[in-house]
Amino acid sequence: MTIKPKQHILIFYIVLLMASAIVVLNFSMLVEQEEAQVDEELFAYVEPLPFESGVFERAGFALSYQNMPDDENPQRSLDGYYKRRAFSGAPPIIPHVILNENTFGGKACLQCHQNGGYVEQFKAFAPVTPHPELINCRQCHVPVKSSSLFQATAFEGLKANQIHNSALEGSPPIIPHTLQMRENCLACHAGPAAPKAIRVTHPERVNCRSCHALKPLTPIEWTRPTNE
Amino acid sequence: MERKAYTVKDHSRRNFLKQLAATSAISAATAMLPKVTFGGVEKFTGNDKLTWKKSPCRFCGVGCGLLIGLQNGKAVAVKGDPDSPVNKGLCCVKGYHSVMALYGKDRLRKPLVKRNGKWVEVTMTEALDLVANKMKETIDKHGKDAVAMYGSGQWTIPDGYVASKFMKGGIGTNNLEANARLCMASAVTGFMTSFGLDEPMGCYEDIDHADVFVLWGNNMAEMHPVLFSRLLDQRLKRKSIIIDLGTRTTRTSLAADKAILFQPQGDLALANAICYEIINNGWVNRSFIEKHCVFKKGKTNIGYGLEDNFQFTDEPGDISFNDFKNFLNDYAPAKASALCGVSVKDIKYLAQLYADPNKKVMSLWCMGPNQHTRGTWINNQIYNIHLLTGKISTPGNSPFSLTGQPSACGTVREVGTLTHLLPHGTVTNEKDRKLAAEIWKVPVEKIPAKPTFHTVEMFRALDRGEIKFMWIQVTNPMVSMPNLKRYRNGALKEDRFIVVSDVYPTPTTDVADVILPSAMWIEREGMFGNSERRTQHFEKMIEPQGECLSDTWQIIEVAKRMGYGNLFPWTKENHIEEIWKEYTRFHHGPEHAMASYQELKARPGIQWPYVNGKETKWRYHAKYDPAAKGDSFDFYGKPDGKAWIWARPFEPAPEVPDKEYPYWLCTGRVVEHWHTGSMTRRIPVLHQAVPHAYVELNVQDAANMNIRTGDKVKLVSRRGELVLPASVNERGQPPRGQVFVPFFDEGLLINELTIDAFCPISREPEYKKCAVKVMKA
Repeated sequence: MTIKPKQHILIFYIVLLMASAIVVLNFSMLVEQEEAQVDEELFAYVEPLPFESGVFERAGFALSYQNMPDDENPQRSLDGYYKRRAFSGAPPIIPHVILNENTFGGKACLQCHQNGGYVEQFKAFAPVTPHPELINCRQCHVPVKSSSLFQATAFEGLKANQIHNSALEGSPPIIPHTLQMRENCLACHAGPAAPKAIRVTHPERVNCRSCHALKPLTPIEWTRPTNE
Repeated sequence: MERKAYTVKDHSRRNFLKQLAATSAISAATAMLPKVTFGGVEKFTGNDKLTWKKSPCRFCGVGCGLLIGLQNGKAVAVKGDPDSPVNKGLCCVKGYHSVMALYGKDRLRKPLVKRNGKWVEVTMTEALDLVANKMKETIDKHGKDAVAMYGSGQWTIPDGYVASKFMKGGIGTNNLEANARLCMASAVTGFMTSFGLDEPMGCYEDIDHADVFVLWGNNMAEMHPVLFSRLLDQRLKRKSIIIDLGTRTTRTSLAADKAILFQPQGDLALANAICYEIINNGWVNRSFIEKHCVFKKGKTNIGYGLEDNFQFTDEPGDISFNDFKNFLNDYAPAKASALCGVSVKDIKYLAQLYADPNKKVMSLWCMGPNQHTRGTWINNQIYNIHLLTGKISTPGNSPFSLTGQPSACGTVREVGTLTHLLPHGTVTNEKDRKLAAEIWKVPVEKIPAKPTFHTVEMFRALDRGEIKFMWIQVTNPMVSMPNLKRYRNGALKEDRFIVVSDVYPTPTTDVADVILPSAMWIEREGMFGNSERRTQHFEKMIEPQGECLSDTWQIIEVAKRMGYGNLFPWTKENHIEEIWKEYTRFHHGPEHAMASYQELKARPGIQWPYVNGKETKWRYHAKYDPAAKGDSFDFYGKPDGKAWIWARPFEPAPEVPDKEYPYWLCTGRVVEHWHTGSMTRRIPVLHQAVPHAYVELNVQDAANMNIRTGDKVKLVSRRGELVLPASVNERGQPPRGQVFVPFFDEGLLINELTIDAFCPISREPEYKKCAVKVMKA
């Protein structure tokens, strides 16, 4: 089959049409993509507000906490809880023998302190850490290997705030401590290891801070200007 | 009458209504939430007078931001400052309990003078008169180079600045050193020889970008715990890898993804082997090294500085890339493996990690490479790896030298409180001397052009009698000097006069003739500079105890008494601000500009170079550093704008175990204690956690000698001996043939055994390697 000159022109036009279609489509696609391009900065990982980061961490255990029978002999008292800290807010010491020095984080402390539970060896419930993501535990928590002192100290630490602090008869008490490193309320306020005095009676209501307000760190003094 | 009755009635009615409302509210609430119990009506009292103020931590070089709780004029609590970009709210056990170090009952509160072998309390005026007179008398009798000052990386920036001005600009002697010589000197000479300017190009933010962390002889989990937690956090979020290179198994090794042990001194061969692999596999970043690097060689067989008056000057010579490649042939993995004890497989693995173009690599190190008789070399060698692969000066690609003291960088390195340094540049450089003379308003001839003694040699000169008077501030050399006996005996010699400014009695105050009680940390105003070029200000938060005076003001008072009052024309109220203003004149320009006093006060630390209100996070790259020219890398510290890759060979340690002394002795620290323990041992929590030093033994070695944890073990070196309890299979575990002892315990002085050899280039002593005998005591 021979191709006539007219067909040549036709083929030329078809090719031209196809080429221009490709160019136009490509261009419009690029323009579209340009608009659809994601601003990476905008969607970069953003740390949650520190105060809010761990609030619901242990919410999944709330029903178990609620159904937990009330123990007659709570093992930890609030006094004992305070005594393990050099001042209110200080990291507590490790009150027991360390079973194995040659382990780290998830293979050591967190075995018991991530989710708690009864430890036969110490005849006690293991307290749950409010910050299990920090695995270099002994960066802040140290054991007691001697009861004597190198030199006596005159340091008097910050005392814990009062816990019965409802503003009105029956209103929910205010959170008496700062939340830094302790954003996860249920870790310390629920479960068998929680000291009874601070154990919440309603762990199933996991949105603790919908009722319990936080005392501001530094109250801002502000008074409405008067007309005078 | 009626009215009154009504009022009473009204009151009772109101009360009744209130009570009714409250009761009904409670009953309503109880009905809604049956399990909720409501507390009594107690007013929220709280600690109303509690205020929080920011300060950098008193302890290590990480420079965590703390918030210090103050109540009734006392520091009562600490928490991490969430606004600090360094620690973002987290601290370590030392930081949390740091304020307790202020309140030890045996705090020095009154000046003490030794008269007829007995300590006598005197007034501060009397003590300062005595110090000034003694200093003057010594200079008159023996010359100005017979007096010396030995300071510290815990000096605040103003302390160091007035010390430098007093000694170099006032008296006119270069007899000024600081304990940072014992910890950071090799890092400094490493930076100077490779880049021409001191301090890291990167910053802590590199941690948030790096894919691989290689720790060179650095137990970060204990020594830089807050930064290590940042590494762990990044591993959790981004699956970064942590590689621990060390001579013993530590807490860091346990946390790392891979821990590789090398033989002591083997790091020199290991680093070269990594370079060999990178070059011979064609993994070199060719365009980077062609544009931005040159190759150099220095002297070899450079000695160990064991003899008095040891002198050494390196001579850099040009070599080509091929020369460097040929030099590395001695470190082919199989050969290097024999020198460093790392398997060929692991060497190749490390080289491949460093070279992988898709991985950002951060190297971190501290005392392992620095306290090393070839400390400058191993610092150079780590830079070599980063330069060959071009992984430097960009986010996540970072060779990062960590520091151990809160202001080793800020004071000793930036203010320059070492014999050869000035606040800007060196004493040997005429231009730098002229600048100092101009700012200090002293004749330029006053500042001597020749450095005198580095730390070890300064204590040797004290022993020999060339130095008769030494003033020691904020440091405890009678625990921390290597080969300690010699230097203690030297300090105790007949006509030596030692002044010690400190906060507690220490083995150093034991050798003193005058003790000046210092105001500590937040009892005065000051600034520290941390490892990432961050300057942090802290205000005076509490009153100093007794007659305690800041180290800055002690120096100014003595200077005034010696007739140099015109150098310090400031009042007690404004001197810190005035000193900052004067000092920052040394650091103008985009290479080292510093923030203003007001900005420092307002913010939790500012990184220099601080240009046009912007911190410089990465130096030597035009994208991040206003001082860099061109559009990419510019190593402007060197005249040709190029970084130097050094051919540094393996050379053995000064004292290698032999038949008589078959074990390596390594010394170091633990997370609970800070350096010589004079502060942390007075913090009950920390002391009770680690009440005394111990010797870590390998399990097999211990079994062979029938030693168990707690048994007494005797260590003997050529310089001294010590009996201390064994620790087997506890926190750290040395390989066979090695032992480890922490140095914080003034009751068990391991430094009586260590060797006073040093790196001939940096003059930093070796604390990590010497030979000992080990036996059951």
